[in-house]
Formats: sequence, C-alpha cells, structure tokens
Amino acid sequence: MTTPKSDNMPGTPKSDFLQSVRDALGRGNVPPAQLYPRLTDTETELEYQSTQIRRRLAENLPTLLDKLADMAAKGGWKVHRAAGAEEALDYIQSVAKDSGTLKVVRSTQDVFAQIPVDDVLNNIGLTVTTVERNNDTTEEYLKEEIRQSGIGITGADYALAETGSIVVLPRRGLARLISVVPPVHIALVRAEDLIETLDDLFLLRRLEYHQQGSDMGSYLNIITGPSRTADIEMTIVEGVHGPKEVHMIILG
Amino acid sequence: MPEIKTQEFTAASSNAILDPKLRRALDRVAEGFHVARLDRIEEVTQQTWDSWKDQARNIKVHTIEHLDYYLDLLDKNVTAAGGHLHFAKDSDEANEIVAHIVRTRNIKIATKSKSMVSEELGLNPVLEAMGVEVWETDLGEYIIQLAEETPSHLVAPALHKSKEDVAALFTEKLGIPYDEDIYHMAATARTILRDKFMEADLGISGANFVVAETGTLVIISNEGNGRLCTSAPRVHIGITGMEKVIPSMQDLSTFLRLLPRSATGQRITSYVSMATGPRRLEDEDGPEEFHLILVDNGRSKILADPALREALYCIRCGACLNICPVYARIGGHAYGWVYPGPIGAVVSPMLVGLPQAKELPQASSLCGACREVCPINIDIPKMLLDLRKKTAESPDTSLRSAPEIERVLARLYARLMSSPLLLKTAVKFGRFAQKVGGATPFFSPFTKDGKWIKNAYLPILSRWTKSRDLPTLPDKTFHDIWEKELSRDDS
Repeated sequence: MTTPKSDNMPGTPKSDFLQSVRDALGRGNVPPAQLYPRLTDTETELEYQSTQIRRRLAENLPTLLDKLADMAAKGGWKVHRAAGAEEALDYIQSVAKDSGTLKVVRSTQDVFAQIPVDDVLNNIGLTVTTVERNNDTTEEYLKEEIRQSGIGITGADYALAETGSIVVLPRRGLARLISVVPPVHIALVRAEDLIETLDDLFLLRRLEYHQQGSDMGSYLNIITGPSRTADIEMTIVEGVHGPKEVHMIILG
Repeated sequence: MPEIKTQEFTAASSNAILDPKLRRALDRVAEGFHVARLDRIEEVTQQTWDSWKDQARNIKVHTIEHLDYYLDLLDKNVTAAGGHLHFAKDSDEANEIVAHIVRTRNIKIATKSKSMVSEELGLNPVLEAMGVEVWETDLGEYIIQLAEETPSHLVAPALHKSKEDVAALFTEKLGIPYDEDIYHMAATARTILRDKFMEADLGISGANFVVAETGTLVIISNEGNGRLCTSAPRVHIGITGMEKVIPSMQDLSTFLRLLPRSATGQRITSYVSMATGPRRLEDEDGPEEFHLILVDNGRSKILADPALREALYCIRCGACLNICPVYARIGGHAYGWVYPGPIGAVVSPMLVGLPQAKELPQASSLCGACREVCPINIDIPKMLLDLRKKTAESPDTSLRSAPEIERVLARLYARLMSSPLLLKTAVKFGRFAQKVGGATPFFSPFTKDGKWIKNAYLPILSRWTKSRDLPTLPDKTFHDIWEKELSRDDS
C-alpha cells in the first residue's frame, strides 16, 4: 500500500477554498456556536446507547427475526429460515444444484464453522475456493477464481430488520467481490447478527469507530436484494452487474 | 464544462412537445416512479414522512450554514483514513486533478459509475484526449455514452430512449444482431462491462453523501456497478459537489430513508456502498488509493445568495422532475444543460450564468408540486420567482427576458388596475368597442359562442390569444351589479 506523494497536485489550497466558502456565507472563521449534537457523543454515551439497542433486540428477537424475513423477501431476497445446520446445508446444496455451476467461492467468516458448506458441495461435484492468503494465491488469482464462480457465499456482519438487508464489513478472509461478482449470492445470517434499524447500525458503527482508534474500516456495504436496473423503458431487469439471484438463510 | 444549450430552451422545448415517443417515455416515468413513491409514503404514514423531511432539512440547514467547518472536518478525516481530499474551484481545476492522477499513476482504463458532477465537469472528453479508455457502467449512462448524448433525467439518464432505439444503437456501435429484448440487452452490457471492471486501473464514482465525522463517501445504487467501480480497480476517485457533506454517520439513516423512496419508490436501493480511505493492510481486496474531489464550480455563488441558498440542500432524487407538468412534456434535454427539471431551472442558471439561462426560470407554471414532493422541503417555486425577479429587474437589458414593449404595457396595466376611475373608463370603452363588433379590429368578432375572444388582432394581445382564449367583456361588471342591485337589497 503505497501512496505516492502528491507533488504538484493541481487544485485550490484548502485555506483558500474554505475562505471562499466563508466569503459566500458572509462571515469570518466562526465555528458553529452549537456543534451538531451527534458529534459531541462520547464513547461512554455511545456505549450506553448500544446497550439500550442490545436490550431492545433481546426483548423482541422473535418478532424482529420475522420482520427481517418479511422485509428481506420484499427487498428481493429468497429467504430461507433454517432451524439447524443440516437444514441450511440441504438448502445450499439445492441452490447449488439448480444453479448448474461447478465452482463456488466463499469467505472464511466464523459462520462457516457452524455451517460447513465445503463437504456438501464437494459431494455433488463442486469445487469450493476459500479466500485465504498464502504464498500460492495472489490477489489476481483470487479475482479470477471469484470471476469463474457461479455462487458466492458470505456471512453477514449485521442483518437489518428495518430494510431486510445484510451489512458487510471488511475483514480478513472476506473479499469485497464475493458478494457482487458471482451471479448467485448466498448470505448466511445468524440470530446474533440481527439489529433493528439503520439508526442502530450507524450508532454501533460509530461506537466501533471510537473503539478502533477512529478507523471506520475501508468499506461498509448494505445489500438488499439482487442487482437490478430499470434503465430501459422502466422495465426491471435483475442481475445487471451484480448477482441476479440472492438467498438469505436465516439460522435460528 | 459540457456545451451549454440553455439559450435554445424555447426552440428545444417546442420541438420536444411535438415528439410522441418522448411523451410516452415521460409518461412511463411519471407512472413508475411517482406512484411507487406515493405507496412508500402511505406505508410509513404521512406523519412519519413529514418528520423525516424535517430532520433532513434541519441537517442540511445546519451543515450548509457551517459548510467551512464541516469541509475542514471532512478533510481531516479523509486524510486520517489514508485518503486524499482535493478542492477544485471550477471544472478545469477538477479535471486537472483527475488528469494529474491519471498521468502519475499510469492509468489506461477507467470505469465510471454514475456521477452528475462529472457530467457537469465534462470529464470524459478530457480523459479520452489523454488516451484513457473511459467506460460509463451504469446501464443508462452506458447507453447515452454509446449514443454520444447527455442524461435526460437525474435518476434514469436514458429514459428518452425506447428499447428499439437501444437495440439499434447496440447493433450500430457493438456490431451485434438487432435484438430488442430488454433482458438480452442488459446481459450484453453486463458481459462487455464485466471485462472492463476487471481490467480497469481506475474507478471513478460520484457521491450521494460524504460524512465529515469519518471521511466516508456514500454511493446509493441498484445495479452494483458502483460497488465494482470502487472495489476492483487499484485507484478510486470520488467526485462530488462541496454541498454533499453531512456531519455524522448517524445522519445517514434519515437520508437513506428519504432518497430511495423519493427517487424510485424503493424502501432502500439494492446497494448502499460506503468507502472510507483506501484498502487497509488486513483487507483482501480494494483500491490502493482513495481520492475525493470536492467541487465548487459556481456553488459558492448559490451559497452567497440567501434567496437561493436552499438549492444546495438538494439530494438529486429527481422527485421534482417526476411530478413537474413542464418536465413531463418536454423531458430533460430541452433544459439545455446537466441539471433538468424544476431544480435544474434553479441550479443551471446559477452555475452557467443567468444571462445564458434566463429562460429556464420561466419554464414553470408555479403550481407548487415540486415543493410538495421535495424530501428536503426546498421551496423551488419561490426560487424560480426570485430568478424571474432578478431577470426582470436587472439594469442589464440583455438579461431581461421580456421585450421592452411588454414592460411598458405591464406598467400601463398596473396603472390601470390600481385606479378605479381609469378601469371603469377603460371597461366602458372596451364594451363599446365590442358592441360595435366587426367594425373594430381590436376586439374582433372571432369569438366562440360570443363569450370568448379566440383571435385578437392587437399586436401584444394576439400573442396571448395564440395559445389561450380571452373572455369577452360582460354587459355588466360586478361593480355595476353591486351598485344597482345588491347594495340596495342589503339596505
């Protein structure tokens, strides 16, 4: 990761740019008398609010899982609720068979310890590539493997009941491209991934931001349903650049 | 900047009205987006919707009033995350920054996800002149790039093209057999662009929001091209207007609720992609470099004008286009520049210069529908009136849209209407002239059933009656009736 020095970079210096904004606003360098309330939140306050979120979740878990399933279906996911690992694996196997693909790529998130997909997929003759960095696998190799795969399987860092979405954050063993390049995406959601609202999501992320030394991580993706477009005559076409078919397996 | 055709508005809109194909396409948008939007509001209740709108507006008011503070905070946090923030005062400077990155990083192929600001900059020709392959990857943008046209809608850039148009275009430009199946055409674009995503060294995106607190760029999309553009290439450049900054990550939830529902009637888009700096050491993939270019390009002129400042609250959802009776009849291209519709009629004159776009603020019936649907409660009609006032009252006669004779007549009319005696005398004269009938060329006998003047011969009046009928003067005015009948009854 090298960032070349920005020698001779064109553009307006920040001080000049900010001065022109102040001129337009007709005032000098006056910071807001009242800072935006959320920016003054301390870590302790965010922690307190996050315990409130967790409590609200624990109290309403069954209702919120139903809501997640309902909203996810409305958002275009094929939702499957699996009571146990076996049921989930059966479902994954049937999706794989229907897809006709020979290659699957998956992340190495914790959820795969609970749902060991490799064997059931190997049993029906599919190869499974995992995202692991070692001397044999370069990034280019991984990119190509993902491109060749008919199915990408990932976990979720969060699942959002409000919108029926999954939230994916950067982590070792999870490439960004797994959930967007293969034509089929399977997301494995555990009950403990569930949160209720977008507000909850961003509050928890802000808390993590403070806890992780003010680093947000390089990305956050909220995914809701398949890739789609309506750019030709307002006709909805699924799978234009991302996956055409997306499955959400809710465990528990 | 791309070519400015705002001066041709009158001719362009007259032509557009006569295009039945365009009309069908615009009807589809009105039905599709607007109806879905209403369903979504009903679902959450009007009360909740209104409270979201108020929250969003409060955030925008606060941020824009303290824009310097939040831009500074954003800069610090983009830098802290390992990214680079660049400030560009105009389109030339923004294009130079991109060109500099392209040159120093040896970029050969660039993929772009939808960015209205890059349209405003005219970035693609600059890159192409440097020998860079530039690929628009949003399906609608890809279509108009092939057709060498410009977007006609903020959200659905190629809505003016029928499927037959696109099929013919693909045959001509891609050399494939004619096939007007929409699914097949989308698949063709997927296949071609998939290769480009993987080969590209540069991904260029716009931004719907940038978060000052964390230095985060937020893209809302449905196709997944935004994610691919910002994940696969080794360099990511985000380009957006300086007004897109919001204070905190938590402010996003309100905007994520309002924007998709207002734009396409979706509860949320397929993808909300947030990028904060380049890939970190522990990441498996992602760009090695992250640049964010914030563009002024005339926005500080809007900021400096208290009557127009709220135009900077716009989140480009396109709801005002979808409801506007004028946009519904003339489409986006007639507006002559990047931003069409009611909000475009405010923003474009400020960005390209009022003298060149003085007709745009006239392109409104002031019905107020745009203000009603705006998720940020932006009072567009008020700003259109303000711009009209600026054009009418300017000492610079070239800025005025009305001919001098019209101004003189308007002043006479104002004088007439403010004096009961003058008005009474004028009405008497008019009624006399009307009775004389065919003898007078001013109020001609060409009336419909004697009640409407269809065709006046008076020079200015004839322009009015060309597209409207004028009622004839009645035998008795209300004043006459009042004096002779009603007031007596009361006493």
